[in-house]
Amino acid sequence: MATDGMNRRQFIRVSGAAAAVTATGIEGIIAARQAPAYAQGTKLHIVRWVDFIPEADVELKRQAPEASKALGAEVTFEFINANDVQPRITAAIQSGAGADLFFMMYNWPQLYQSSLVDVSDVAGAVAKEQGGFYGVFEPSFRVGGKWLGMPHSIVGNAVAYRKSWFKEVGFEQFPDTWDGVRKAAAALKKKGRPWGQTLGHTFGDAPTWAYPLLWSFGGAETDKTGKKVALNSKGTVESIKWMQAFWKDGCDEGGLAWDDTNNNRAFHAGEISASLNGASIYIVAKRKKDQIKDDKGEPMFQDIDHALYPFKGGPGQYPLYFSNGHAVMKYSKNQKLAKDFLRWLHKKENFEKWFQVNEGYSVAAAKSWEKHGMWAKVDKPLKMFQTAARNTRIFGYAGPSTGKATEAFSKYIIVDMYAKAVQGMKAEDAVKWAAGELKKIYEG
Amino acid sequence: MKSSAAGGATGVEVALPHPSPTRAGRLTRVLDSERALAFMLLGPAVILLGVFIAYPFVMGIWLALSSTSVGNVGEYVGLRNFVKAWNDSIFQTAFRNTFVYTFWATIFKLALGMWLALLLNRHFRLKRIVRASMLLPFIIPTVLSTFAWRWMFDPTFSVLNWTLYQMGLIVTKLPFLSDGTYAMWCAIAINTWRGMPFFAITLLAGLQTISPELHEAAALDGANAWRRFRHVTWPLLKPVTLVVVVFSVIQTFSDFQLIYVLTGGGPANSTHLLATYAYQLGVASGLLGEGAAISLFMFPVLLLVVWLQLRYLRRMEGA
Amino acid sequence: MIERRWKRWLHFYIPLGVFILVTLFPFYWMLITAIRPDEELYRSWRAVNNAPFWTLSPTLDHVRDLLAKTTFPRWLWNTFFIALVSTLISLVCGLFAGYALARLRFPGAGLLGTGIFVTYLVPQTLLFIPLADIIRNFHLGNTPWALILTYPTFLIPFCTWLLMGYFKTIPKELEECARIDGATRFGAMARIIFPIAVPGILSAGIFAFTLSWNEFIYALVFLSSPERKTVPVGVVSELIRGDIYFWGQLMAGALLGSVPVALVYSFFVEYYVTGLTGSVKG
Repeated sequence: MATDGMNRRQFIRVSGAAAAVTATGIEGIIAARQAPAYAQGTKLHIVRWVDFIPEADVELKRQAPEASKALGAEVTFEFINANDVQPRITAAIQSGAGADLFFMMYNWPQLYQSSLVDVSDVAGAVAKEQGGFYGVFEPSFRVGGKWLGMPHSIVGNAVAYRKSWFKEVGFEQFPDTWDGVRKAAAALKKKGRPWGQTLGHTFGDAPTWAYPLLWSFGGAETDKTGKKVALNSKGTVESIKWMQAFWKDGCDEGGLAWDDTNNNRAFHAGEISASLNGASIYIVAKRKKDQIKDDKGEPMFQDIDHALYPFKGGPGQYPLYFSNGHAVMKYSKNQKLAKDFLRWLHKKENFEKWFQVNEGYSVAAAKSWEKHGMWAKVDKPLKMFQTAARNTRIFGYAGPSTGKATEAFSKYIIVDMYAKAVQGMKAEDAVKWAAGELKKIYEG
Repeated sequence: MKSSAAGGATGVEVALPHPSPTRAGRLTRVLDSERALAFMLLGPAVILLGVFIAYPFVMGIWLALSSTSVGNVGEYVGLRNFVKAWNDSIFQTAFRNTFVYTFWATIFKLALGMWLALLLNRHFRLKRIVRASMLLPFIIPTVLSTFAWRWMFDPTFSVLNWTLYQMGLIVTKLPFLSDGTYAMWCAIAINTWRGMPFFAITLLAGLQTISPELHEAAALDGANAWRRFRHVTWPLLKPVTLVVVVFSVIQTFSDFQLIYVLTGGGPANSTHLLATYAYQLGVASGLLGEGAAISLFMFPVLLLVVWLQLRYLRRMEGA
Repeated sequence: MIERRWKRWLHFYIPLGVFILVTLFPFYWMLITAIRPDEELYRSWRAVNNAPFWTLSPTLDHVRDLLAKTTFPRWLWNTFFIALVSTLISLVCGLFAGYALARLRFPGAGLLGTGIFVTYLVPQTLLFIPLADIIRNFHLGNTPWALILTYPTFLIPFCTWLLMGYFKTIPKELEECARIDGATRFGAMARIIFPIAVPGILSAGIFAFTLSWNEFIYALVFLSSPERKTVPVGVVSELIRGDIYFWGQLMAGALLGSVPVALVYSFFVEYYVTGLTGSVKG
């Protein structure tokens, strides 16, 4: 909590007295000397999501005291369930009080633009030093030429699949075209090993499946201006028809109710043959190799590989990943400190430790990390994440990724277009429904 | 809290025109004036509700009439948010769902709760323990119990599917949460599970006010169990039932946690309720004005329900 | 005789048994999940030795993890403290207000009664954003008081109405006798009426306590330090990691989070019933 001047002074007095009593000699003196810029007792509060890889949060928690020491202020992380970050941001902005830095996903800096501090100086320096950011951050984190969010990382996703099962149905290699995937999934479902894909109301695996499917068949929500809905196109209809066939022939139909967690568990239990997910399926299977075994009793992770999604065969391959970062809140009384913290966090030697713990689950926002030595050491299935972030798009395409795109996203219109279609609605009608809803948002 | 009560009392004291000989005497007189006492007694509640409800409520209404989005103070737009919502197909679905959900959940809670109350009103061993344990679903935080249910309905691992399958009743898994219609009934079932104990216990309390002699008299007249219930128990239980139903309707109609955890409104909006949709719009899309407008749609409906109930109660009191 | 016993089974034991089964099965399921080792979670439901209803190698790991790796005991204490204090506040307010509305004549009584009830109708999803503003103005953010003072907004209306109904059932004569004996109105209220209303107070209290225990949105939005959270928010926000659930700990948390209240209830359930008996008459 930000303290006002009065409280801070009081706090200094109190903490000074406390320090005099409890100071462990030299350490106390050093700590006192090291805080030139900020009054002692200044606190910096950062809210982040709970990372999918627990070790990543452990690493940040470990870094917090280091950061505190370097900055001369107490840095505290709070990790909360990703679904609960937005209500916290909303309440903080509306009441003008709360954490100094918030975790940003997708294009949130667009959504919260009037409440965020311009961090172009930090972002510019980091970009210059570390080879520039991936293209997806430009439309999502930059507003009117200013960086309102500091790009931090990208959580890529890929199709995790069981190598041996695909082989059994005659696919030595992963079939990387839309058509091939449908055939493989159909063959696998016949053997009781369907493909697992969610089309539920969940912020991760459902939209990161649906949007790339739309884009890679040539569909788009709007035209370039973002003011005219262009959803109803041949490409969109084709993508829906593919999805209908894929769903019926090859998918576990329970997927309509899945959230981001169901496919992980179904995969680990050997219920499904493949699923679009972050690297967590593989990483967890590897870390719990004594518990997660395949049908022969061998550790399952040895049988897992990753394939790039979206597949080939359409006009292009454009994934949607989590573009993550941090934003400094305008109401914060510690804006300068917050920026210093970001600088500290993105120092190569600090970021590197966090980056390595992730083993490719989260990749860096800046491109030069593609060349990092870690990639030579990671397991083969994780290598594909090295460059996966290059072609990513953000929702709102082909227009700018504005708050309206977020509205369409959070209403799950694109996801529901596919969900309705696989539940029996005609492809043309599903497009019509979705285009109608989009019109109310973009053209209304 | 204490201070505001004391503040209220001093305020009244000062306002009195003529001085009194002793402090105690003055206080006594103040307390004996019905009006002053009423003001004092109502003070704490009114202040607390005023600060923490009335003001936010007015703010909420303003939000609904403005184009406010997160971080941007909006301007007055009249009823535009309401019109937009009304024409929104997702809103229409949510609106319909809310009625379906409330109606059936209330019916089930009432019917099953009544049945359970009649059962619990009898004498049997371990009565106390059974009565107490029946309340468990009502005690456990909704968010957490809904997680447990979600797991029991899990599309892949549902223990219910497993059981039905082992018993040979089904050949393929039932799509508990992945089919829109199923999902709605699952939500209704969970709501019923959660709310039924409250109905049962409250109705049980009502049942205990009915003297056994009435039943005996009816039984002597040759009335069977159903007729005794219909003509003796039910008329006496009606007022209690109404109170419980109203409280339950209010809570069910504005239910949020259960759906938020169970399905998030999916699949394809088939379980969205007004509260979850309002939350989704306000929080995830940052459209605070539109979110508030959708929340406000609930208010007149609830008001109507309560008004009807109050009128009915007054009429009964008068009769 | 035999026929009557058969009837008792049909009309009583079997339905009651089904009710008990349906009501308590989810709790049994939570328990089993909480003591199930992780490897069983990751096993196919078609596995030959699958035994969803019990576990062959029960473990307390999840409970231990819950207590050691999260601040669960703190959450439990926070929830308890917040629920208790907000319940007490609501009871005092509800008691006074309920008495005033039931017994005293003053202008605007009906309107005020309706007004208090109507506040119960305002949806929380509408209120939490404006409330965040008030919490900030009072410097209550991230303190238990943010919840202690906002929970009464949905507790007072209920308590008031329940107690008002209860007071109406207490004969006026009792009070009048006390007044003739020289008691003040306030004294009569506090010494004669309130003690009679104890069952009603208890039942209102128990109900209010449950509602506070259960609350989610306000607790999520108004509290931020991990050690200040309440059970529902803490469990959800720290045991769900993106696409992985810690099912064992989650269910252990759910169980441990409802046991304390369950104990309170088992002591008071009869009071609860008699308390409501009074109030529902009115």
